[in-house]
Amino acid sequence: MKSQMDEIDREILRRVQDGIPLEARPFSRVAKALSIGEAEVVGRLESLIQRGVVRRFGSRVNHRKAGIAVNAMVVWKVPPERVAEVGTGMAGHPEVTHCYERRIHPGRWEYNLYTVIHGQDRETICNLVERFSRHADIDEFLILTSTREFKRTPAGRIR
Amino acid sequence: MRSADGLDSKDRELLQCVQDAFPLDPRPFRILGQHLGLPEREVMERLDRMYRRGVLKHIAPVLEMRETGVAASTLVAMKVAEERIEEVARAVNEYEEVSHNYRRDHPYNLWFTVAASSETHLRESLAAIRRQTGVQEVDILELPMTQRFKIDVRFRFVQENGGEKPDGRDRP
Repeated sequence: MKSQMDEIDREILRRVQDGIPLEARPFSRVAKALSIGEAEVVGRLESLIQRGVVRRFGSRVNHRKAGIAVNAMVVWKVPPERVAEVGTGMAGHPEVTHCYERRIHPGRWEYNLYTVIHGQDRETICNLVERFSRHADIDEFLILTSTREFKRTPAGRIR
Repeated sequence: MRSADGLDSKDRELLQCVQDAFPLDPRPFRILGQHLGLPEREVMERLDRMYRRGVLKHIAPVLEMRETGVAASTLVAMKVAEERIEEVARAVNEYEEVSHNYRRDHPYNLWFTVAASSETHLRESLAAIRRQTGVQEVDILELPMTQRFKIDVRFRFVQENGGEKPDGRDRP
């Protein structure tokens, strides 16, 4: 696959991927290091977002410390011909951060649709899941609440 | 009013903006301040407090995986004996290919994601994890994604999420 980035884009991402400094002009160091203007740095970041290379630019938070204490992975058994419809529908809710179809293992594990839902507490999540279930008319599901977070890091980095 | 997490309503508004609509501008904190009716300095002070409390981890680009050299990935579910869960979780965490690893309340109690530069590399990592942890193949589910409907890890910090975004854009 052809990359949509040139070397300057890569170097900018390499230098900001762990976070910009909390300074009035947070892009000035990167700009100086690359001998380009700050406007070019932010312009390139903007363009990377528009081209879909960068999903977004913003904060990464510890949601547990901001009142969003629970994440549940809810797995659903959806008839194959309804996956697209049900998946798109669930993806539309802001509480759903991830929505994927995944491979099944016939006879061992037949849940094919996965949603990750974040909420203040378990009750909020259970209520939402019940609503989703009624709305999509899917009654086979499991709520897999996380009881421990062993690791959570960004999945990819520019090396 | 501050809630249990130590954030007041301005903090929450600020956090919401920094997450959803960080202004890509040479002076982003000034623009955030203009939007929230705060001086630039106060914006930075509030963010600094949130960093120190551990609420805010960083402000950075979120990269699409395909651009970072990840070509193969999967979710893995494992049944691990209760008394071994800590040890196995630690062993799994050691792999840089593993980005997320959670304990969940189910007989399949350990759930982690593995991402690698190629299918071969992914297979090698999974084999190494199996060997090292000694978890049997019958107790492991490999669950690669077959279709993506959404990935958007953003949260609502304020109840009322209306109003104009500082950069004037609406995101899907």
